[in-house]
Amino acid sequence: MSKKTKYIDPADRKTIPERIKDQLAAYRVPGYYEKFDYHWTMVIDLDRCNGCGSCTTACYAENNLPVVGKSEVGIGRHMGWLRLERYVEGEYPDVKVRFLPVMCQHCDSAPCELGCPVYATYHNQDGLNVQVYNRCVGTYTCATYCPYDVRRFNWYTYKWDTPLEQQLSPEVTIREMGIMEKCSFCIQRIRGAKDTAKDDGRRRVKDGEVSPACGQSCPTGAISFGDLNDPKSRVSILAKSKRRYNLLGDLNTRPSVIYLRRVQEPLHASAGHETGMAAAHNTIAEHGSTADTAHAIKDTHGKKTQDGGH
Amino acid sequence: MKRRDFLKYIGAGVVGTGAGLAAAKIASPPGAKLIPYLIPPKDMIPGVATWYASVCRQCGAGCGILVKVLEGRAKKVEGNPLHPVNKGGLCARGQSGLQALYNPDRIVGPMKRSGDRGSGRYTPISWDEALKTVAGKLKGLSDDGNADKLWLVSSSERGHLGKLAEEFMSAYGSKNHIEYDLFQNKNLKYAGGVTVGTEDVPFYDIENTKYLLSFGADFASTWLSPVGLSHGYGQMRQGGGKKSKRGVLVQVEPRMSLTGANADKWVPARPGSEAILALAIAREILAKGYYRGSNAGAWKTLLAPYKLASASKATDVAAETISKIAYDLAKTTPSLVIGGDALSSYKDGISGQVAVNILNHLAGNIGRKGGVLINPERLLKAGKRAILKNQKMTRFIDASLAGNAKALIIDNTNPVFTIPKSSKIMQAIREVSFVVSFATFIDESSAMSDIILPTNTFYEDWGDDFTEPGVGMGVATIMQPAVAPVFKTKSRGDIYIALAKAQGGKLADKFDHGTFNKYLKKSWKKLYNSNKAMANSALTFTDFWNRLLENGGWWPKSTPRTRTRNVSVASVKNYLPKAAAKFEGDKSSYPLNLLVYPSTGMYDGRGANSPWLQEFPDTMTAVVWGSWVEINPKTAEKLKIKEGDTVSVSTPSGSIELPAHIYAAIRPDTIAIPIGQGHTQYGRIAKDRGANPLEILPFIEDKKSGELALNSTRASLSRKGRAKKGSDDSLVRAAANNFEYGRDYTKIISPAEFAKIGKEDV
Repeated sequence: MSKKTKYIDPADRKTIPERIKDQLAAYRVPGYYEKFDYHWTMVIDLDRCNGCGSCTTACYAENNLPVVGKSEVGIGRHMGWLRLERYVEGEYPDVKVRFLPVMCQHCDSAPCELGCPVYATYHNQDGLNVQVYNRCVGTYTCATYCPYDVRRFNWYTYKWDTPLEQQLSPEVTIREMGIMEKCSFCIQRIRGAKDTAKDDGRRRVKDGEVSPACGQSCPTGAISFGDLNDPKSRVSILAKSKRRYNLLGDLNTRPSVIYLRRVQEPLHASAGHETGMAAAHNTIAEHGSTADTAHAIKDTHGKKTQDGGH
Repeated sequence: MKRRDFLKYIGAGVVGTGAGLAAAKIASPPGAKLIPYLIPPKDMIPGVATWYASVCRQCGAGCGILVKVLEGRAKKVEGNPLHPVNKGGLCARGQSGLQALYNPDRIVGPMKRSGDRGSGRYTPISWDEALKTVAGKLKGLSDDGNADKLWLVSSSERGHLGKLAEEFMSAYGSKNHIEYDLFQNKNLKYAGGVTVGTEDVPFYDIENTKYLLSFGADFASTWLSPVGLSHGYGQMRQGGGKKSKRGVLVQVEPRMSLTGANADKWVPARPGSEAILALAIAREILAKGYYRGSNAGAWKTLLAPYKLASASKATDVAAETISKIAYDLAKTTPSLVIGGDALSSYKDGISGQVAVNILNHLAGNIGRKGGVLINPERLLKAGKRAILKNQKMTRFIDASLAGNAKALIIDNTNPVFTIPKSSKIMQAIREVSFVVSFATFIDESSAMSDIILPTNTFYEDWGDDFTEPGVGMGVATIMQPAVAPVFKTKSRGDIYIALAKAQGGKLADKFDHGTFNKYLKKSWKKLYNSNKAMANSALTFTDFWNRLLENGGWWPKSTPRTRTRNVSVASVKNYLPKAAAKFEGDKSSYPLNLLVYPSTGMYDGRGANSPWLQEFPDTMTAVVWGSWVEINPKTAEKLKIKEGDTVSVSTPSGSIELPAHIYAAIRPDTIAIPIGQGHTQYGRIAKDRGANPLEILPFIEDKKSGELALNSTRASLSRKGRAKKGSDDSLVRAAANNFEYGRDYTKIISPAEFAKIGKEDV
């Protein structure tokens, strides 16, 4: 027996695009939840970061990441949840290099969450973008939607040569073939800290009590982690920095990772950017991009660079 | 019992049994039971981690670590936040120590050689038989009156293990103990002896400096104490609160290293000319009257030859740049000059390090906060083995080729891999009639031995380390076993003791320590009794020992005391370079300078057997699972070499083939190859991967300090073809490219704008 639908005057009826917009608006209220319990946030100070890469290995050790081997890395199946980007600009002797650690940005309006047909990825009460391995059916949709390229797909069930498997942490699930995975902000550590707080009779986790493996290992102290809901926390103070920016901020994904600009003298404007890199561009062509003769675009600094067509 | 509790216990039981069976199969520790958690060990609660404080031995830095142990297995290593050297941080190599512990190619028990030397074919034997054989050979040697023909080549050990080995050798009657590792900063130490009167490496207070001038010191990846110095770097940039000015970094090196990539200015001086550049800066400081110390006249006369114009020509650095550096260095207080492996790896590398100290003296940085802090005398006095001239490998090579080496112990070091082939190290080892290795892996050196005695990794062993450099004060770090030995391996200390005992007589009497653990504790008791600060920190020795294990070591609570030292004109005048360093090979057939450098992941090659480190994208190039040669785009274009092409690199001492990587930040007249790959042994992960650049270097050991001159040859390049995509010889990078394409992922702010907004108050 169908329930009688309430009559709505056609004039008041919303069009389908309007209704989608409403739904999205409801979703895009920061948090989806009324308010996040915690708002876990990471601040990465690019002026401290010296690109040593200890964060990437710490992540492998903490989260049971598989090693895939040379040929697999060659076809873009590297499993690192945290990658260290290095960007080179200029021509000898005026060369500038910049480093950028990129992990899941835990966007408050995450494109990946919209795409998943089985709700394997959703936003939890702490403002974390979480991945439920048991739900994942491996449609790869989320990885396609993610503008940061931080989602990693298990193309195989990876094995560890005995006794390497003895190192595997029992606190993190071992993933199988066909599962999507990504940075979890070390959710097991967050849970552990919450448990400790509870055991101590405290309601909340103190600032500085929890850090993901990457932030813990960072020698330069570039990675800070904490609760943005707490106005006194280190990340809250750093988030107010005039150097702050979000990666691909124009996409309005509301990332929970905040970067602080590196202090660096900009490369001199007219420097011939293309010629210095010409030889290296041959590889890019091999990787399936249209690099070599692509049209030059003007970037925000006003200097000419090449569009790789990615 | 409630039903829920019952189920809980059943669950725990099942987990326990499984783990127990697995453990029994692999390790069978004494007294292993089928259900080990029926009465669980005191410090073990299933599911709750126990953290053991210890010391990392993945390189020479000696960082304090915490090992997370769950159900008897090491799961994660983290930096010890209490430790004054690394302050909680830990590098990629330190993290990967776990993959040495649980490496699939570890030696599982004692072995006897069954193939040719170097073949790596061995048959297992029992510990009894192995120790009996080795002790028998050693006893035979000393009975024949040839005790002085025993040689020991060990890794560099600053703790009681090194002392025990030294005692073993002197009790046995041999003076032939060499501590050898590829990177021991020998030129740096020697120059310290010349200039400030101590060969102990000083503490470089990067944290508090405002102007850091680095001559090829890649402290972000491998130099000296990468984690500790990187911590200082982070603090120099953005630490210290709102009022603190941001420190500036200027890096001088022909090939931009990871540290160079972080510099505000990269100065690509001509290879070998860095010492000249340093002295030209020094002369400029004097000429412009920036120097405030005594003896200005004498210094001026001494440095007169290093004129701005001629130095600019020799170093390929603009005269204005030299003047600017001189001004900034002298006028910024505090400032600091450091010189790294790239500087001391030329022929006569001592002169470069001496020049660095002259600069520090002229800028008034020695003994100043934010400058060079002289470390106090070591808590554990270094023995004769630490004297630089005793550490020369030529001593062994020459002796052996002259027939004066009858037996050789190789303890935890890999000279065959790290010493250039032209040294005849292989022939020297082949000449020795009996070679025994204390090793964790069959590497190139242990593969040359007749008997292999497998040793514990540092996660399974007792020990200690007296960190060098200290942090302006002495730091002692304790090593304790976090896990039971995974295989049938023994502590290195226990092996020395067992070998001494098995020989009987006086040697056995002297080595009545029982176990290395007891020896260690006894020695620490001596230290505790003789050191006032230690004695004051705890009431009884037991209390002190417990705290030692809990904190991971002992260090004074005080802040470092500053000790001023003057560098005198007389002490340095014989160490000034007359011209830029020379390179082997003539310019016409070998047009390029070859630089080799320790890679971030592999260091001196010991990281190559870790899957994590193989798949660790190189920090500057993102290359994984292999080696490469870095070529300037212009040079590559001229030679028609493209990214990923296989090229042959030839020097007068040999040639290797490896893929090319086009590297924008290297001089066009220079190529660079990372050290670490190209193993012929060392397990399935490392073996036959990439090429070892050390093979094609000339063997030049500094006569005074004993440091190998790695950057001392020219090379030529030729294209050989192209390896199949994804094959073992191809170039694979974890990142498709290094360009932003104007998308502004890494936003920057200019120093001028930053000066307006200042640091955050955190």
